[in-house]
Amino acid sequence: MNGARWLRVMVGIGVGAIAGVALYLFAQEWVLALVVGAIVADVVYALLARWQTGDWAPLRFAAGLVVFAAVALGGIALVGDFGEASDVDPDTFINAKAANTWALILTVAMVAGAIVYFGLELLQTGRLASLASQFTTRTYLLMVIGIAVNIILGQTVAAALKIPIYLDSIGTILVGILAGPIAGALTGGLANVLWSYVIPPPFQYQPAAAFAITAVAIGVIAGLLGRAGFLRPRPDRSTGELLIGGLVTVVLVGAMAAAAVIGYQYIFETDVSLLPSTEGVEWYFVALAWLALALVVGAILGLFALLLLRRDLTAAYVVVAGVFTGVIAALISAPIAAGVFGGVTSSGTDFLVAAFRQAGLDVQAATTGQGLISDPIDKVTTFFTVYLILQAMANRFKARFPQGEQVLPVDEGAGA
Amino acid sequence: MPAFIGTPGPSAFHRLNPVTKLVLALVTTLLAIVVGGVIGPVLVAAVAVLLPAAAARILGRLLHTSLVLSLPIAISVLVVNLFFYPAGVDVLLQLGPIRATAEGLAFAIETLARIGAISGAITLFYLTTPSGELVTDLERRGVAPRIAFVTHASVQTVPAMVERAAAIIEAQRARGLDTEGGILRRARGVLPLAGPMLLGSIAEIEERTQALEARGFSRPGRRTLLWEPADSGRQRALRWALLLTVPLLIGLRAGGWLGWLG
Repeated sequence: MNGARWLRVMVGIGVGAIAGVALYLFAQEWVLALVVGAIVADVVYALLARWQTGDWAPLRFAAGLVVFAAVALGGIALVGDFGEASDVDPDTFINAKAANTWALILTVAMVAGAIVYFGLELLQTGRLASLASQFTTRTYLLMVIGIAVNIILGQTVAAALKIPIYLDSIGTILVGILAGPIAGALTGGLANVLWSYVIPPPFQYQPAAAFAITAVAIGVIAGLLGRAGFLRPRPDRSTGELLIGGLVTVVLVGAMAAAAVIGYQYIFETDVSLLPSTEGVEWYFVALAWLALALVVGAILGLFALLLLRRDLTAAYVVVAGVFTGVIAALISAPIAAGVFGGVTSSGTDFLVAAFRQAGLDVQAATTGQGLISDPIDKVTTFFTVYLILQAMANRFKARFPQGEQVLPVDEGAGA
Repeated sequence: MPAFIGTPGPSAFHRLNPVTKLVLALVTTLLAIVVGGVIGPVLVAAVAVLLPAAAARILGRLLHTSLVLSLPIAISVLVVNLFFYPAGVDVLLQLGPIRATAEGLAFAIETLARIGAISGAITLFYLTTPSGELVTDLERRGVAPRIAFVTHASVQTVPAMVERAAAIIEAQRARGLDTEGGILRRARGVLPLAGPMLLGSIAEIEERTQALEARGFSRPGRRTLLWEPADSGRQRALRWALLLTVPLLIGLRAGGWLGWLG
């Protein structure tokens, strides 16, 4: 990023942080403060961009983001405290369960934000350049490969390897990063629908179509992250930069995990303790819990080792991107898994759902808990895989894609 | 129908318009979810899956394929819900800390009925509809030709990629890759397999782009189709009727009139 852009980003984050802290001190609602802070940061950045470069696009995006947040927060406020999450009512199909409405609200908010963004663009420029530019011939062919990879890898993992991850979004995220959010969304949605309805056995996986909306969301997020240059290689950084990057990653991931835990406790009215408690619990569950903790610590150490060995700062960005995408994907897919399949989709994640059920949680809480564990791990793995694939592709080839410039390393010598 | 397209379907159900069959599959799926209980999905399956399958004379094949497909998920559903249903009180069997409960069994059976109906509907659709026909029909109805291309190409690329993977395995084995050792050895063999397959497919994109552009792929607008699947007014009416049953049954369910379906 050149100097002027850095300045805009820093000022935006600064003002957003001040707004968020002020709101928190005023209203004591930290979720609201976080969301408002992020929105304010983006609006300030967009205004500065318009003032400095005369470009309207960041402002249009900020408008779409504001509408998205407003609809999402409004929806959550309207639905209230999400009702009784723990009563299993088999008689009425309309289960007013907490997580069900989450997915619906997020979807409606996403659609509203998209309508505002594209509507503004159509009104201002008379065309949908940002949409059309994502869909070149090359994009369509990449989508074909992406869908095929999604299906083949996803089916291999779901049917053959019973491990609690999915690995069915590599194609979606690759297309999203190289071609754009809508292209990625289309890849994800089409892949899931085809996987269920059109692909013949042995590659057919019938539960997939229900999760098409999750894949769409993943594609959009990957596209936006790619546009922001998250997966741009940042080689040969100083040790100081790498350590700071690792620290920031751990803080951000910890914050997302804390948000997930607090949200989980609030919505499902259960207690989540991060350290294993020994009272009234069998010894093997305690052992498994300590093992899980050890894995977390190992992952953090592994991240620092990776950063310091490869000296590529992008590893930190990849982890943050993966965890963020994973949490969103989990929140959207959990109610679908619970409502349509009773939490069981014949993949390796079932034993995690079973473990949560054994702890006494209902279907919704069990699938959400399983999702919040499986999805971030799966998406971090996927983002790393996509990053490795991108590194193996020739620069000249990547540059021809719509968002290809954002995955090329910045050439310090040639000037910004 | 031109010979290179294929032969017309063997039964009247096969010869229905692909979108009609798709709507049937989707509506069956939705109804199986909306109409809860155990008898509901079974009824839906009997009317919307087994009856058409018998008419199309593929009942045996449908049952075989559908059961094989839903077997892994059925086993998972049964095990997870039978043994790990927290609200279960009526214990049938006790194995250490794990209890099998009657409530769990009831929930499992309900879920299995629903999954069976959905699986049957999807299998019926794919057994009676060649993917090329579906894509051609969608294109006739106005789906962008390029999206239709992506759909068709993806469906064809999956088996093509698998064949290519087989060829790569053979090539790597000829160069000394170990594919028969323990798990760890075989895991190490995944990268020399996946890498060339993935990167080879991606590298082909450049050539294929030029080939498609040379054939007017990025030309905007519709294309003239050489052959289209037949459609009729009666089928259109049938599709609308099928679609309307979903809100109808949601309403009946919400009003509590479907309690007899248990």
